[in-house]
This record gives sequence, structure tokens and C-alpha cells, in this order.
Amino acid sequence: MRVQLLATCLIDSLFPEIGEATVEVLAKAGARPSFPPDQTCCGQPLLNAGYPAEARALALHTMEAFSEKIPVVVPSGSCTEMIRHRYPELFAGDPKLLRRARAFAERTFELSEFLIDQLMIADLEAPTAQVLAYQPACHLLRGLGINRQPLELLQEIPGSSVERLEPECCGFGGVFSVDHALISEEMLKRMIRQIEDTGAETVVGCDASCLMQIEGGLRRAGSNIRCSHLSQTLTGREPGLR
Amino acid sequence: MTSPLLIETRKAIDDPQLQDLLDRNADRRRQLRESAFHQLPNAADLRDRAKAIRRETVSNLAAHLETFASRLTENGIHVHRAADGEEAGRIVVEVARQHDAELVAKSKSMVTEEIGLNESLAAAGIQAVETDLGEYIVQLRGEPPAHILTPALHLTKEQVAETLTEELGEPVLPDVNEINRIARSSLREVFFSAPIGLTGVNFGVAESGTLCIVTNEGNGRMVTSLPPVHIAVMGIERLVPSMDELAVMLRLLPRSATGQKLTNYVSLITAPRRKTDPEGAEERHVILVDNGRGALLGTPLAESLDCIRCGACLNACPVFREAGGHAYGSVYSGPIGSVVSPALFGMAEFGHLAKASSLCGACVDACPVGIDIPGMLLRVRSTAPSNSPSVSRGLKTYAWIARSPTRFRLAQRLAGLATRYLPTQAEWITSLPGPLAEWTSFRDFPGFATRPLRSRLGELRLEVQPRNPEIEPPVQTERMPERDLDDSRVDDFETELKELGGEVIRCLESDAADRIMGELYVLGGSRVLTWGQVEPILFTVFQRIEEEFQVILPELPADGSRGGILSEYDQAEVGITGSLAAFADTGTVVLSTASRRSLLPSLLPAVHLVIVRAKDIYPNMEAWLEAGGSHFVANSSDVVLISGPSRTADIEMNLTIGVHGPGQVVAVVIE
Repeated sequence: MRVQLLATCLIDSLFPEIGEATVEVLAKAGARPSFPPDQTCCGQPLLNAGYPAEARALALHTMEAFSEKIPVVVPSGSCTEMIRHRYPELFAGDPKLLRRARAFAERTFELSEFLIDQLMIADLEAPTAQVLAYQPACHLLRGLGINRQPLELLQEIPGSSVERLEPECCGFGGVFSVDHALISEEMLKRMIRQIEDTGAETVVGCDASCLMQIEGGLRRAGSNIRCSHLSQTLTGREPGLR
Repeated sequence: MTSPLLIETRKAIDDPQLQDLLDRNADRRRQLRESAFHQLPNAADLRDRAKAIRRETVSNLAAHLETFASRLTENGIHVHRAADGEEAGRIVVEVARQHDAELVAKSKSMVTEEIGLNESLAAAGIQAVETDLGEYIVQLRGEPPAHILTPALHLTKEQVAETLTEELGEPVLPDVNEINRIARSSLREVFFSAPIGLTGVNFGVAESGTLCIVTNEGNGRMVTSLPPVHIAVMGIERLVPSMDELAVMLRLLPRSATGQKLTNYVSLITAPRRKTDPEGAEERHVILVDNGRGALLGTPLAESLDCIRCGACLNACPVFREAGGHAYGSVYSGPIGSVVSPALFGMAEFGHLAKASSLCGACVDACPVGIDIPGMLLRVRSTAPSNSPSVSRGLKTYAWIARSPTRFRLAQRLAGLATRYLPTQAEWITSLPGPLAEWTSFRDFPGFATRPLRSRLGELRLEVQPRNPEIEPPVQTERMPERDLDDSRVDDFETELKELGGEVIRCLESDAADRIMGELYVLGGSRVLTWGQVEPILFTVFQRIEEEFQVILPELPADGSRGGILSEYDQAEVGITGSLAAFADTGTVVLSTASRRSLLPSLLPAVHLVIVRAKDIYPNMEAWLEAGGSHFVANSSDVVLISGPSRTADIEMNLTIGVHGPGQVVAVVIE
């Protein structure tokens, strides 16, 4: 099956390693990913910061960049949620664009959801066993209702143990992480305490943004625990986002 | 520019005692709510229904308001409309002056906090006394409530004891039961002497003109039953079309708010006292407050009017958990407060609150009426972005860059180059410049890749041979269906009431009198407040009780005078009543003032003994409403649903029983 990879601005610019691992996972699962070269950013940072007009422009740009009518796979719950729920809202006033946004939303999938629900593949023959803590990211869990899919993928790794963290926000939240840093820090501390209590070596998640916040915090705290994107764990990468 | 919320949050975070109380609130409330919903078989459907009900009600608000107001008028309740808080205050003062009232006994009401009613009354020389335990304490301290449900959330029992010691001039121990006892006795005076009782309204039932007021402590019942005048203040959006929709809301509100299946006391008030009622306010007023609500209809923030003020989003919110209620600087705090405050009180002053959210969505999950709070926070943000000029410029530049793949690629390269020269520790950056410095104040930053993903495409195997997928349906993890209630109503009623701390005695009708007498001997005491002969079963028992105890049949003078009569009733140790119906799923009994049945025996004494006939036990409230309950409510002046002993968790989340109402409830079920 041919699919288009929507790498997200964050993975493209900061974590190309996650993008590479995602391509590898998709290939292992039998999908043939391509990288539409015009993609940039889905517009979520702008919508979240209070600029819907700018977000709309980037949403249009994204739909344009992914105009081929084949599935779009996104290694991020947050960006998938933006496309699935907020794109139709952004174009609510324009029936033609609204139809287009809905159709685009319908063929856009978060990575774990695509593997489990669309390809129906759980065992990707991941090579290494680890003690894992799975971080259920907010937009992934609450916005998309994705919970069992990543867990099923992780549980297939022979010899590894997976503990699901309590669904608590890590404190990232885009602009919030900087302009409300004070609160973001307290939320991050709470998340790190929770992670340390599990005894896990690696925190696995489906959102590079949350994982960047968490690994940034772990590193600053001098912890040896590292974060990995789901795709990195499934392809046997060393713990750590980069 | 630092927002007022952040300044206050800094103080909150530096206060370990407050943090501890906030943690306790978040953990306890979340656990209670989750377990309450877990036990509800069709929670998701109910939530969808509740959402649809709220949407419909708010969308057709003018029509529902019209119906509600005409029913109230037909029922003999005075209706007033207030465009804003000032007008509402004027109306209350006017009514108070007509009755020469200088004291108003209040049960907790957020809309009166919103409109500063106590201040308006004070300016007119009228004292308003808050009677909810938590609210009473914050009023004594001159503070606003810290939570829409738990006003004294921010206080320890030591602080509460200190406040009471100062107020009463005698030492009060920092013990929750002791505090409770003192509040009970000192507020009794207020209940018994205030010429006016003032309440909010949880739901107005349009079809019947019924006011639904829920309290756990029993103060809502006191102030609507004892003072001769009752004034209810409500926001115009707090309506449901009929009793059926009310039943849905009553399933969700208490579970969301406190994790209870039903609030201890649900008062359903449809009329002032009638000739056959032994008590109840002779004059009732409803003030419908707009205060900015009407202007929200049809706007992108109209959905905020769906809120039923359960407080669940506050308890679920990770930001509230750090900041606490006072930091928001508005009577409405937490996630919904960050929408409602700018919507009702102005973007300029409160728009910044919408930024204090990571948009994690814990609030939507907790919301019983499914309000898309993050979606509305985004709408507030887009109306009042209130970002600093540098952040605003930065974001708009980013949008401009991202609209062009060429510019984007160039920016990636520049960023990759720039971050290469920043200080690192194990390859992550430890210090960023400019507005991003906040990031590295407590986190390392990965830095931009020198070769972004789009530069690596050549090395990636983007086309590979398809693997043969194993077709295996995904594992479904569905919850087990709940048990059927039908054949075990008495058992269920017993289980539920016992869980609430009540007692249940099951007996045959022939043994009932003996069992009740036996129970009365065990309870001790010499005075019994009761209904008298109005119930056949009570009639048999009544004669025997009369031989052994001093029996009081309460009836308040119809001229509004109360004198010492209430204090006299209050001397009774036990109250005995029958019941009209009972609900198996919540351990609830239904009582009403109709046919000279006083509600006071179920309210004033420390013990309420209630006689329930097994045949009157319905599986749930809906079944009762269907079987004629709705009609009954519409035709009675005051119906109350009682679920277990009076209780509060206002102080440090410690549950204590017997606040204003009985601390002991004994149900004698006749099978």
C-alpha cells in the first residue's frame, strides 16, 4: 500500500531520526511511504497561539501538499488530532473547503493507529527487549481515543515489559511551555516523578513534542532515563530521541 | 508582560501547604468521580444525551425562559428579570426592605458571588450569612471561594479552627467533627431567625416551573423551608425543559461534582407554601440574571452556557492543581472559568486566562455535558491573543516561513547552523537566547538538526516490497455490562443506603410498630418530631410513641412569625416520617410537604427514622418520574429527595456527617 508520510515540522527539523525510524517501520509493515516535498507545518502552533487565519493558511498548504488521494500517516497524535478535529472547524464557514478538510481528515492516520487498525499488523519483529514506560499523550488519548494500539505494538516486543503511565499532561502545550513556563515546570516535575516510580529505562510515546519536553527535563535532572518515539523503539534504536 | 495569573501562581507554588491541599483535592475528587462513573452502566450515552439537552436548551433559551417564567407566575412565584448584577442586587434589597429584613440566610450560590450580591446587601445595611460550611468560613475570613464547589479548599483545619476561634471568642479545636458541630449550632440561630432565605438554583424545570436546589449539608433545605420569604437567584441559562431532562442532569451532576450517585438533598420547589403545607416560605421570588449571558447566544462562546457548574474540570485540570482557584482572579476559575470569565466579564481583563492551558483536554474528559473547553479556549485566544509583541512577531514570521517550502528549508538550515554554537551538555542545548530562554530554565533543548529529514530522503528506502500482513482482528477491551436491578430493589436500596452511612431495618408490617419502638428506645431521647396520623403505618406506631415520648407535630405559623418555635422543634432528638417513594439505585427516599406532612422531622433532629414500604421502592428516579413522580412534583410545593445523612467534605476533603441535617438516617423497610 502506498502512503504519504506527514513527518511534522518538529520531526523534520529537530528529530529526523524519528522520521527515519518511521519510514523503516512503515516499510516493515508492508507500506510504501513517500515524502511529499512541499510539506512544512500543519498549522497547529498558530491555532493554539490564537492565530486561526495563519493556521488556516497552513492547513490549506498542507492539504495542497498531500493532494494525492492515498492515506497520510503522521508519527504524531497531536498533529493528527489537529487535522482530524480542528481542520474541519477551521473551514466550517466554507462548504467546499469543509468537504475537502473532512475528506483529508478521513484519510489521515496516526502511526500506531495506521499499523493496528488499518494494516492490522502488531508484530514488527522489534529486536531489543527493554523496560518501557508508555506515555499516553493527551491529544492522542483524549483527542483521538488511541490507547490500545501503541500498547499492542509494544507488547509484541519479545521480553520487554511495558507499564502505561497515568494520563497526565507533561506540561508541553506549545507556546504554553514557554509563556507559562512556571506551570509547565511543575507539570513536568510531576511527570518525571511518575516515570521514576515505574523503574523504566525508557519512556516511549507517539508524540515527539511531549517526549522533547520529558527528555529535556530528564536530562536536566541528571537522570539516565531517556525517551524514544514508538517508531524508534519498534526499530530497535538506542533509547534517546536523537 | 507577566499575567496576574502567573504572579499568583508563583505564590501558590511556593506555598507547600496549599500545594498539598490542591493535590489532595485533585486526587480525591478524580478518584471519586471515576469510580462513580465506572459504576454507571451507560455513562457515555448519558453524557451524549446531557450534551444534546444542554445544546437544545441553550439554543432555544428564549422560548424555554418564556415557559419557565409563565409557569412560575402561575404557580404563585414572583418572577424578576435582571439585566446585570446591579439590577439583581436592587431587586433583592427591595424585597428585603418590604419585609424589614436585616438578615438573609444564604445557601451557596455562584451566581450571587458573580454579581457581588453580599456586597450590594451590605451597602443597604442587610447582612447576608453564608450557611454552607466552606462558604461560611471563607465569608468569616473575608475571602472569595477558592473553588466553585469547595470554597474552603485552600484552608487547613487548623486555619479553619483559628478563624472560628476568632469569630466565636472561644477556643475551637482543629478537629473536623468539632468544627462541624460548632458550625451546626451557630448557624441554627441564623436559620431560625432570618426572615429571608436566599439560594441559587441548580436547574429550573421549564415545563413545571420547578426549582431544583441540591445541597449535601442540608442548608439549602433550611433556607427554603424555614424563613417566610425565599429568594432564588439564577443565571438565565440554568434551565432544563422538563423533569425527564432533569433526571439525566441529576445522574451526572453529583457524580461529576463529588462522585456521589445523588446529592444528599435534592429540593424540588414548585410553589410557595400552600394551605395544606405545615411549613415552607409563604413568598417565593425568582430572579433571572442575564449579566452578559444573552449576548453570548449565537456567538462562538455560546457553548460555555452549557456548563452546569459541577467543578469536575477544575478537579481534573493540571493547571488548577498548581495555581489554585484564587490565582484566576475571577469567581469562575479553572478551565471553564478561563472561558466563562472572559466571555461574561470581558476579554481585556480575563482573556489572558485562556493562555494558561496546555490544551491537554482533561477537562473535556471530565465534563458531564461534553463542553469542548480546549476548543473554546482557542476561540478566546483568537479573540484576545494577548501575546507579547516578540512572541506575536515570532509566530507570524513562522507562519510566513511555513507557507513556502523554500523558505522553510532555508530556515531549517539557518536554525541548524545557529543552534550549533549554543552551549550543550551531552549534545542537548542547556541555554537558549531570547524568548526561548524560558525553555532552558529547567529543560535541555535538542537543537535543530543540521540535516533535517527532508535532506535525508535520498538515503531512505522509500519503496520496498510489501510484506504479507497477518490479518488478525484487534483485541477489544470492552467493559462488562452492569447487573440488572429488577428483582432486588429492597436489597439494592439497603446496600446503597448503608454505603451512604444510613441504617436499614427490614420487617413485616405486623412487626413494624415493635421494631420502630425498639429502635426509638435504642436511640434514647425523649422528644419525637413526626407527621402524626397522616400515614396508616404511622398511625399505628403513633399511638404507642405518644405513650412513651413527647410527640411534636410541627406546623409553622402562617403569618411568617417564627419566634421560639423552631428552637423548640430543634430540641427533638428523633424525627419520624413515612415516604412517598424510594429509589433503589441511590438509597433515596422521597418526601413532600403535601397533605400536612412536615419536612422538618427529616431535617432538624439528629436522627431521621423513615418508614419505607417495599412496594414504593422504584429501581431509580426515572422509573418514579414515569410512574407519576413528574406529575407529583409539578403539583407539590416542596418535594425533597433524601439520600443518606447530611454531609460535607469542605475541610481538607474529610467527609463528616450531620452538618445541618440529620447525621443518622434509619430506614424501616416494610416488606
